[in-house]
Amino acid sequence: MMDNMFSLDNITFNSDATTKDEALKFIGHFAQEREIVKSEKAFYKGLKKREKEVTTGFKDGIAIPHCKNKTVLNPSVMVVKFTNPIEWESMDGKPVKLAFSLAIPEGENQQHLKVLSTISRALIDDAFTSAILNTNDKEEIYNLIKEKIVMEDN
Amino acid sequence: MTNKKIVGVTACSAGIAHTYMAAESLEKAGEEKGYDIKIETQGSIGVENALTQEEIEQADVVILAVEINIDMSRFFGKRVLRVRASEAMKNAQGVIETALEKAEPYGEKGTKAGGVKMGKTEEGGFFQHIMAGISYMIPMVIASGLILAIANVAAFQRDAAGRIVNWGFDDSTIFGELMSNLFSVGQVGFTLMIPLFAGFVANSIAGKPAIAAAMIGAYIANDAEMLGADAGGGFLAAILVAFLVGYLVRLLKKIPYPKLIQPIVPIMLIPLVSTLFISIIVIYVLGNPIAGLMSSLYEGLTVLSENYAAAPVIIGVVIGAMVGFDLGGPVNKTALIFGTAVFTDTVTKYGIEGANFVPQTATQAAISVAPLGIWLASIIFKKKFSATEKVSANSAFGMGIVGVTEGAIPFAAQDPVRMIPAFVAGSAVAGGLATGLGTKFYGGIGSPLGTFIGYIEQPIPFVTWIFSVMTGVLVTALIIGFTKKRVD
Repeated sequence: MMDNMFSLDNITFNSDATTKDEALKFIGHFAQEREIVKSEKAFYKGLKKREKEVTTGFKDGIAIPHCKNKTVLNPSVMVVKFTNPIEWESMDGKPVKLAFSLAIPEGENQQHLKVLSTISRALIDDAFTSAILNTNDKEEIYNLIKEKIVMEDN
Repeated sequence: MTNKKIVGVTACSAGIAHTYMAAESLEKAGEEKGYDIKIETQGSIGVENALTQEEIEQADVVILAVEINIDMSRFFGKRVLRVRASEAMKNAQGVIETALEKAEPYGEKGTKAGGVKMGKTEEGGFFQHIMAGISYMIPMVIASGLILAIANVAAFQRDAAGRIVNWGFDDSTIFGELMSNLFSVGQVGFTLMIPLFAGFVANSIAGKPAIAAAMIGAYIANDAEMLGADAGGGFLAAILVAFLVGYLVRLLKKIPYPKLIQPIVPIMLIPLVSTLFISIIVIYVLGNPIAGLMSSLYEGLTVLSENYAAAPVIIGVVIGAMVGFDLGGPVNKTALIFGTAVFTDTVTKYGIEGANFVPQTATQAAISVAPLGIWLASIIFKKKFSATEKVSANSAFGMGIVGVTEGAIPFAAQDPVRMIPAFVAGSAVAGGLATGLGTKFYGGIGSPLGTFIGYIEQPIPFVTWIFSVMTGVLVTALIIGFTKKRVD
């Protein structure tokens, strides 16, 4: 289950975005590149709409831009580490360094959603988020996330 | 503080991230504090970790971290705190503490649920609080009023010819002593009823911490001696006191107290501060106007009675109106005192032949009009009185028929805008007719029965007095009937 939702290739450090809007555009582009979505524009608009309802900026430099949209082909998790800190109207006012982006197709099945909710819950765990923030090793990030999800699943 | 049971629901618009992050935050924060916490998530997956009705019932408090409207019916009557999901993510600890301290019962009138106010909105505030106070006051009014009424009947001492010669209790007989004691018992009830009413009005506004100050304040406001006036402020002053205290306590509750003293805020700090405040206000601010009002009314009556001695109907109308105005308050008492004073003064000066009966006759003709008017209205306009109101109206009859005007207080407090004009009009008519028709009230009870239990000189024996009083009663009843709303 996890494997087709999240892979090492869903992690990128290559964003030089400086604003929230640029970051969302980048995520849209990255999602299309990874063949997670059909249209990067539609996904970007979906993310933008969700941000308008309420910011997804969390705390300690983390954001979770996400949306449910029919342009999404496969339910997926992407991790984007930004080179520049980005103002995201986060809860503690701190700029965002890392985005967990969740892409959900319309009418998605329960198991996929369950995985996504597990990731959301994992973000409350300070040890988990600081471990991810403090590494520049994609493999380590991948393993941390996978571990968390497998652990929660059992 | 351990073993508190907390339940909650989280939900956000997308139902993907925030719902679960908020739930996780709350669970974690609750567990850290050692609370028993369970959070239901309503996300895109559907309802997970659903709360059972039993869990909801056992919970101390319900936390709703929701950004969409959810079914609230399960939480009816529970203490509920509603926050945004993001608030629970940001500061779960704070949300839990706030919930435990400040969550308000859901479903009571005025509760906000997703922007929709529950219960009556427009009449909410003022009358809802007054009604709450009245519901606590009524049993005391009825119990003490009827005891007073019973004793009152026995207070008329007759001579051999059956004429009332004195008002008072003959303590030399066991019966007289008992009646005298019952009279005192009834008076205790009437003394307590005003603070009791104010206490529960304030309780309705601001909760338990407001009761002490409102009761003490209203007691003082109704105590002539402490005010330095000739009469207390009656129920109108009690309403004023209750609202002052209620809103003061509401303000005091909003102050962010240091954690250390929080436990003593509702039981010590607020009651102390608010009681001091209201006592000072009542004694130094309320006392003078009441004394001033009474003396200016008294002077006005003196001028009136000197200039219009030939037109007793004018004095009768004015005095009758005053009696019906505040039912035992300063205006009513001024009229009564004036009536007695004028009578006793003129009797001493000119003897019974030259005595001025006018003001006293008017007060006695008017005194039973308000309670009897209420009763008559409840008979004629049955559909406009609720079951509770009918019980109160019947007891008002019991009091009115022996001249105890206070029987009408619950109605006046509940609906002053309609009731007071009705009382004033009817009382003025009764006062004006009785004096205008040349009735002389020597002694007895101020009600239609006074013509039998008492001694009243009148142009047509029995008829003039009964006609005067009952016309006033009818006027009051009709005004009430035409203005009061139907009870659904």
